[in-house]
Formats: sequence, structure tokens, C-alpha cells
Amino acid sequence: MKINGVAIADTFAEAFTMRVARIVITGRTTKWAREAAVKLTGFATSVIGCKCEAGIERELTPAETPDGRPGISVLFLTMDKDSLPQQLIVRLGQTVLTCPTTACFDGFPDAPDRLTVGKALRVFGDGFQASKVIGGKRYWRLPVMEGEFLIEETFGMLKGVGGGNFLILAGDADAALAAAEAAVAAMTSLPGVILPFPGGVVRSGSKVGSKRYKNMVATTNDPFDPTLRAITQSQLPEGVNSVLEIVLDGTDAPSIEAAMRAGIPAACRPGVNTITAANFGGKLGPHHFHLRKIMSEAGA
Amino acid sequence: MSDAVTLSLAARPDHVLVADCIAADRFAELDAKEIAELPVVHGGRPATLGEFFTIRGGHSSVVRIEGDLPQVAAIGAGMAGGELTIDGSVGRDLGLAMSGGRIDVRGPAGDNAGGARPGAARGMTGGEIIVRGNVGDEAGARMRRGIIAVTGDGGRGTGIGMIAGTVVVFGKVGPGAGRFLKRGSIVALGPIDRPGTFRYACTYRPPHVGLLLRYLRGRAGVEVAERYLAGRYERYSGDLAELGKGEILRWVGE
Repeated sequence: MKINGVAIADTFAEAFTMRVARIVITGRTTKWAREAAVKLTGFATSVIGCKCEAGIERELTPAETPDGRPGISVLFLTMDKDSLPQQLIVRLGQTVLTCPTTACFDGFPDAPDRLTVGKALRVFGDGFQASKVIGGKRYWRLPVMEGEFLIEETFGMLKGVGGGNFLILAGDADAALAAAEAAVAAMTSLPGVILPFPGGVVRSGSKVGSKRYKNMVATTNDPFDPTLRAITQSQLPEGVNSVLEIVLDGTDAPSIEAAMRAGIPAACRPGVNTITAANFGGKLGPHHFHLRKIMSEAGA
Repeated sequence: MSDAVTLSLAARPDHVLVADCIAADRFAELDAKEIAELPVVHGGRPATLGEFFTIRGGHSSVVRIEGDLPQVAAIGAGMAGGELTIDGSVGRDLGLAMSGGRIDVRGPAGDNAGGARPGAARGMTGGEIIVRGNVGDEAGARMRRGIIAVTGDGGRGTGIGMIAGTVVVFGKVGPGAGRFLKRGSIVALGPIDRPGTFRYACTYRPPHVGLLLRYLRGRAGVEVAERYLAGRYERYSGDLAELGKGEILRWVGE
């Protein structure tokens, strides 16, 4: 299969089941909601080192938020249900709570699994906190120097999907970057998906474990490193001199498929040789995103 | 089972009619005949609901009452769920000690709306009361939880002895509001005669007020002007003769 002359490899991306929460941050302006969201999702690229993965899902209009102010929707994922509230409590407490004008709401109100994140954060109020029940939901009001911080008592948790991906194999670094930027632009703000890495792009894709250092959980993906072509079992076609990866996390597999369906064609630009994907032979992750199947459904 | 139970006033009571049997959640278990046989007290004498109201439908927790009922007291007393709409005025003790559901009055209400039974420590402990008009004295007295929204004026002693919960008054609030209040909020969108035992804290934009007013506008169809949603409010902490963790929030401008 080819799109715009770019080969689509007959392979699949292998992804994992994760736990996901949707955090809606509102602010007096979009700027302040975004400031909080950027801090909240900072250092949250991969569970390997960050213990969580998070990203901005999309911007919300005042009509879409509970308090009628501009907002930002964030998806926040961890590998298990215990670490999700732990990470949220720590991070929301240090980022959204501290950010001027913001309030924090649950984005999965129908999820039966509830995380008592706001309830845990209420103790910052040192006994001066107060709660309000509005429309059957409890909110905590925390007195802060600016005025008050409002946070919903519980946040919904769903099973999500982490580690959807595709790799852009290009003739040079400039072409790879341009393709990656185009793919990210096509996938940004699609519902139910985040791209947790810087600018949505990974330059240092990893393999499981290490050939040399036994304590390393992940090390460089040497079969796709162009500088190692001559000394490893390279999987790079001839003419490929740079590879960038797009990693996708989402609320469910269809959301990730939809994003890949938008992103892959956008990445098929001049200078790009092949679109492929990273997997572990299908033995580790239950979610398999077959590139050609996904693109066939797009009518490519 | 019907979509709703409708009570139409058939015989205007000559005296105060205590109709504490009217509660939306209770009607969900009863047919029209059983509802008509529910006991009421008319001028201190026992009677039945059917002597005063024509009842249509049954087995529904959506209840509509047609008629002007200033003589009918204790509607919605102890209600725990469902929706009760009254197309007119109501007497005292509306939603007395209710714990859930919504009561929507399309007219004024009498004294002690959402309040406590005589001698009881707690008034309403949950649910919502919306009065689209004025309310009598001591609305929300000793309420523990829940929301009372009054689109007109509040009487004397609004929210007296509140333990928690929220009373919103769009019009003028009478004297003695919030006296002996422990926690809880009285949100005054109009003038309020504030007790001396409340102390000014600050002027700010309380985020929960916007959320609450937006909820009332969206879910209950209460008309709320934009200026109140993101407006500035003076916060007065009180009652300092009690716990002092409650508040009066007075709207002061955009």
C-alpha cells in the first residue's frame, strides 16, 4: 500500500490498556487554563520514566465547561488504577491548585469508577475548606490567597489505551520533522486522543530492556537508529536517514484509530519513505492497530 | 403508571390545609385512588386529599399541582426524591425537612420553606426548592444541605440557624438573615439586611456561585442575568456568635 508515494508497512502498532481520567481545567481566560494544563501535563511523556502519560486533548469553549469559562481538556493515564489517583493528587495539587483563576472539573461524569481526588486535596484548606453539592455533585472550595479554588470531589476513571504509534521513516531529518509536524497538526484536538511527547513527536523511540545494561527498562530502538545501520540488524530501508515516532494515547481504540487515520496521510509527504509502527510481536499489548487496515477503512 | 400525577384544586380550603402527604417520591408507589385517600388536616380536623383535589394519574414521581394554594401547608414535607411543580402560590412549610428531589413553585411561598419541623434540629437535608416569587419568613431555617432559590424577596430570618446548604435570593432579603448560621451560604443578589455578627472578609468572584447560578439557569430554567454569573460578591463570614464558617455573599457588581 502507498499513500502519496509513501509505503505503508504491513505491520501494526501494539498498545496497552491503561487507566485514564479526563480533567477539565477552566480559567478566567484560555491563557490561564492552558498555563495550568501545560504544567499539569509537563514531564508526563511516558510511564517508563514519568509514571504517567498526559496531554492536552483540546480547547473547550465557555459553552462546553461547567462554569461557563474557557477551558482545556486534559487526558491523564497511568498503567494501573491505584497510581492514577496518586499521580492526580500530587500533580493537580502542585499545578492546577497553584495556578491563578483556575477551577477543576471531572470530564468523565458517567464513569462508575470514581477517584476521590478533590476530596484528598481539600485538606490544603486546613479546615477552612467548604463543600457545595450542586446538581448531585460535590465540589470543594479551598481558600487560597487569590480567593478560592474550586475542584470537583471525584473524577471518573475509565480503561483507556496507551502506546498507539506510527513511525515516519524519511530521507533526512528535515523531511521527517516536517512530516511529523503535519501529522500532529492533523491529529491535534481530535476527541479522545492525546500525543504525550514534546510537540507530539518522539525522536528516541525505545525497545524493551537493554543488550548491555540489565537494569535498564528501555533503551534506544537500535534497529531504527540510522547511525547504527552498519552495526545492528537495521530495519531501515535504503535511503532512510531519520526516523520520528508519533505516540498516541486515548480513551479507547476507535479514538486512536481515528487519529491515526488522520495523521498517517498527513505524514505522507515528499521526502518520506515509509510509515511503519512499533510492536513487540503482539505478545505484550492487547490492542493492535494494523496500519494498512486502518488506512483501508479510510479509503486510501 | 402515568407520566405524571396531576392534582387540581377542586375545593378551596376554608382553613389551613396541612397536606404533608404530598411528596413526589411517595406518589410513585400509589395510584390515583390511593393518593386521594391520603390523610390531610383541614382546620385541625382530619380529612382526605381527595376532598380538595382532583387527582389524575398515579405511580409517578413527577407531580404537578394546579391551583393557587396559599392555604395549603407542608407540601413536599419529608420529600426524598422526584419532581414536584406547583402552578401557583403555596402556604407555609413547603419542603419541610425534605431530603431530596426538586420542588418548583410558580408563585410565592409562605414561611419556613425548607425549614425544620417544630423542635427538630435540622431543616431540609437535601434536594432543591425553587420559588419563583417571594418567600415568607425563615426560609431554609436550620437547613443541613440542599439549595433554596428564591427569585423574589426573602422574608425575615432567611437561613436562620443554617447548618449547611445554600439559599439564593434574587430580590431583597429581610432582617435577621443568617442569624445563628454555622456553615452554609446565603447568596444575596439584591439588598440584604445583614446581622452585626457577620464580618466583612473580602470582595471577590466566588467560583461556586457562578456554577450554581448556571446550574439553576440550565437545569431549572431560572432566569439569571449574566451580571450575576461572573460578578463580584462581598463575603461576610458568620455567624460569629456561632461557628462562623458560614457566609453571606452579596453581589456588588460585574
